[in-house]
Amino acid sequence: MPKTIDLSMDAPWVEVQVTDDDWDAAEPAMLETMLTQLHIIRAFEETALDLAGEKLVNGPLHSSIGQEGGAVASVLALTPNDQINGSHRGHHQFLAKAMGYVAPGGQDPRAEFSEEIREVLQRSLAEICGLAQGYCGGRGGSMHLQWKEAGALGTNAIVGGAVPFATGFAWSQKRAGSDAVSVSYFGDGAMNIGSVLESLNLSAAWSLPVCFFVENNQYGVSTTVEEATGEPRLSGRGPGFKIASWRVDGMDPLAVYWATKQAVDHMRAGNGPALVEADVYRYFHQNGPFPGSAFGYRDKAEEAAWRERDPIKRTEAHILRRGIMSMEDLAHLRARSKAVMSEVAGRLLEDDPTAPGKRRFIPSLWPDPSSIDVGIRSDLTEFEDVKFKEAQDFIGQTTEKKFVTAIADVMMRRMEEDETIVIMGEDIHKLNGGPRGATKGLKDAFPDRVLGTPISEAAFTGLAGGIALDGRFKPVVELMYADFIWVAADQIFNQIGKARHMFGGKHDMSLVMRVKIGTRTGYGSQHSMDPAGVMNTSPGWRIAAPSTPLDYIGMMNSALLCNDPVVVLEHDADLYKTSGEVPESDTDFFIPIGRASIRRQGSAVTVLTYLSMVQQALDAVEGSGIDAEVIDLRWLDAASIDWDTIGESIRKTNNVMIVEQGSRSTSYGGWLADEIQRRYFDWLDSPIQRVSGSESSPSISFVLEAAALADTDAVARSLIDNYGASRGVS
Amino acid sequence: MARLLRMPGISADAEEVVFLEWCSALGSTVKAGAPIATVETEKANVDIEADDEAILWRTLISPGEAVTVGAPIAILVGVDEEFADENAILDSLGIASEQRSKHKDDVVDSQEPAANVTDSDSPCLATPEANGHPVDRIFASPLARKLARENGLAIDAMIGSGPGGRIVRVDVEKAVANNPTVSKLVATSAGNERTIDKAFREIPHSGMRRAIARTLTASKQQVPHFYLDATCRVDELLALRQTVNSDGSVKLSINDFILKAVGKALIDVPEMNVVWTEDCVRQFDSADVCVAIGSESELVTPVLRGVEALTLTQISEQVRDLVARANEGRLKQQEIEGGAFSVSNLGMFGVESFSAILNPPQAGILAVGVVSQVPVVSDGELTVGHVLKVTLSVDHRPVDGISAATWLRRFQTLVENPALILV
Repeated sequence: MPKTIDLSMDAPWVEVQVTDDDWDAAEPAMLETMLTQLHIIRAFEETALDLAGEKLVNGPLHSSIGQEGGAVASVLALTPNDQINGSHRGHHQFLAKAMGYVAPGGQDPRAEFSEEIREVLQRSLAEICGLAQGYCGGRGGSMHLQWKEAGALGTNAIVGGAVPFATGFAWSQKRAGSDAVSVSYFGDGAMNIGSVLESLNLSAAWSLPVCFFVENNQYGVSTTVEEATGEPRLSGRGPGFKIASWRVDGMDPLAVYWATKQAVDHMRAGNGPALVEADVYRYFHQNGPFPGSAFGYRDKAEEAAWRERDPIKRTEAHILRRGIMSMEDLAHLRARSKAVMSEVAGRLLEDDPTAPGKRRFIPSLWPDPSSIDVGIRSDLTEFEDVKFKEAQDFIGQTTEKKFVTAIADVMMRRMEEDETIVIMGEDIHKLNGGPRGATKGLKDAFPDRVLGTPISEAAFTGLAGGIALDGRFKPVVELMYADFIWVAADQIFNQIGKARHMFGGKHDMSLVMRVKIGTRTGYGSQHSMDPAGVMNTSPGWRIAAPSTPLDYIGMMNSALLCNDPVVVLEHDADLYKTSGEVPESDTDFFIPIGRASIRRQGSAVTVLTYLSMVQQALDAVEGSGIDAEVIDLRWLDAASIDWDTIGESIRKTNNVMIVEQGSRSTSYGGWLADEIQRRYFDWLDSPIQRVSGSESSPSISFVLEAAALADTDAVARSLIDNYGASRGVS
Repeated sequence: MARLLRMPGISADAEEVVFLEWCSALGSTVKAGAPIATVETEKANVDIEADDEAILWRTLISPGEAVTVGAPIAILVGVDEEFADENAILDSLGIASEQRSKHKDDVVDSQEPAANVTDSDSPCLATPEANGHPVDRIFASPLARKLARENGLAIDAMIGSGPGGRIVRVDVEKAVANNPTVSKLVATSAGNERTIDKAFREIPHSGMRRAIARTLTASKQQVPHFYLDATCRVDELLALRQTVNSDGSVKLSINDFILKAVGKALIDVPEMNVVWTEDCVRQFDSADVCVAIGSESELVTPVLRGVEALTLTQISEQVRDLVARANEGRLKQQEIEGGAFSVSNLGMFGVESFSAILNPPQAGILAVGVVSQVPVVSDGELTVGHVLKVTLSVDHRPVDGISAATWLRRFQTLVENPALILV
């Protein structure tokens, strides 16, 4: 018989319970603050539900009534320097963090609410209602509440979507030498989301001070935890990743306080991440003012039983028992909480003159609709004092260098000059400069700023997003293959790409993502995408596509200075091995964002292309005998494309050909052709032609891969077919 | 019984009419007297009305097309008519096959199958050249159309050298080179065009603008004009007008008196009440006087008929009505046709005097200036008098100087002695 040995997890998994003795030992001032915040949040949520019931709130309103104890008590264990983010049900955490920030010394339940508290309540309610005075200018609403200054870095409408960012906040805290921590609040549903599990893993691997705080409110909409997972004790997830984990009754605020305090102490001591599961209950349905029982997925008896364990009732009972406050004090606190919310709401509302008996928001409080696209990206004022240079400025002062060496060299130079830069990706720290040598020498020079990641694109891309949102450091992410943007899609598109605009357009998202295109390496259908077209659907991102080593240096310098997320497209097979002239002694120059480069002057047709197809188009032009003008677009995104250069060329040649290597299905040229036909219709003498790969993704077979991609011959053939006849070329 | 609707002759001198739009949906029933279509003539937009109740079964022309008067424009069928075979109907009406194919899609309840969806298995790789055959329209690149438009050239006269016979830039350039009246400066050079783009705005011609240009250019070039000036004392006319208007029930303008005087003078001096035709001079018994009205964007000259028989009040009311409807573009075609004489009054703009261009085929037009106070010597005494300067433009073909002078003196007499106008 084989021998079977019991194994156990290394990380502790405990439940924290408190008794009357613990309640008796608690500082009266802390209990008073706790109760005050509980009442304020309860009244806030009731007011918000009232407005939703009056159909004044656009969109869903996920109230936290019943769950306030978990948020209030856990934030009491934090300092204003600690950072949090949260989920779609996040009013209570946001308010607790904001109140902790404006009233760090606690709140007296008998005193008038301060102006600062009133402002927090008013701006939070205004944000939920979509009004201009809200923290995000009304853009975020109930599900995207952010007040960076207070350490509330943003709630999130994608289940689990915010969690990877919190690992980035924690990384920044740790790197900055602070003992501050981050807490990511999420619900039981998010515990089964891949990016959350990836983040548990990555934070443990890197020992980051992040607390995964799961408010287990028993239901994902109407689906029970027991239905959704085999291990409904969700804190059980932590030890598998070697994360110290706590379970606690979330309806007992003092127990939550102690569990969180232990977790925070664990993190501040440098022991890595923590997981806290607080069992709570939302009295109402997923959203809106009706109980869940009204929808039939649970019964009234269950709801009544949980309400018996209400965190406010419990806290009040102990406070009364200890004689800290009287019945009158308690009634007065509840009444004043309702009154302050009524007052705050009243500042936003007026009687609707068109509908007697109804209220409406004061019309002047709405955000200006014309501001809708303001703040999608930086205004590039960060380049104000920058002197730009181009290849012609270095004539006679250049030396030849391999493309891939130029990549490693410019990163080396920037990391020497700028200590905030940190780079991360799969295997970039080993193999003598990563899989292809693009990070050569960096790990030796900067061992703690070159981070080899687990194969978890969502986790490490999101971690970089969190670093960018925090703003103290500048992350550079390497995606080994462009197709992996789909793997990390939520973090790239919903989170990083939208963060600046969604949270009000006021904070930068400075991040660089290096993406390698795998065409012509035989890696097949899932490693051979040109991501330019897909990336261009996300207006928050800028897209750099350098075709020469010199351009790479200047454009990477600009990408690193830029306050936006910039994806830098690289080409393994076609470009890494090529060589080009680079300045002998200057790796500090900038090439302006938004400037294309004319690689060949011509009169017959304007060829628009980028990356390795620039050289192939030039070869095709020489081979075909068509006098084409070849423009290297360099910056591809809708905001950065150089219409001045393109327009001038089209007015001269009156013909356009867009050349791309990759599959037409995900391609960039469709968008470009659409823009051109509207901008230059009267200047076009023929349809906009496109040369691109096949509809299918490139296959592995050598001949099929070649057939799937555009090449020099395809460009030359199209030039002759479309522009040859009138010029005697065939 | 299916029948053809033909383009009616709308004004005497227009052989071609621009078809604007169908007022009734294809297949709908049009009641007798209801508008079927709107067409643009040189002077007005006119509704074509149905004679009897009928179904608009098929249209033969499209909006924007210029159509010869008399050409078939649609096929109407009776309301309860059983359709015979479509081709039989077309054969019986003598519709040419090319016109059938041209508007194939416009047939009600066509039994034709919908155009085949191409069975390409690579939808996004469809070649952009597959644009069909140049039967329905002339293919020209956007740039070629723009250049042709700027040079005033019609693309239908050009031969396309591009794919599928598409007219492209070089074809327009060739046409420009072959047309000496077109400035070559604007032909192709990108640099030049951009400069010009900034220098002015281009306002496309309306049909009416073209008509004004064509008519008046022909008039000034082909009609031998001569001009007679007169200065009329109008103190009595002003006094009479004040007396009449002080009653409050009417409000006559000076122009109303002038129109009445013109009408009376035309009856009194019939040599002036004429038009020139190739074969004869046509003299009228009734004084039909056109009034030049500058509406918001255009110039129209509706006619007051039988002015000699109209009272001043009637003249005033009719003119006011014509002005109002001219501004709304609601003048009827018959209201802007005919007349042997026109009056153009720019006095309200402070114009002292001016010479007008004749409105063919009329023989006379009176240009009326502003009433002004001037020193007047009367019986050796210097006094202040109100005067009105008028300039009579005359077509010398039917009218000699003496006849014109006689008419002008008669007009002056009537204006200066306004009691005569009233009798």
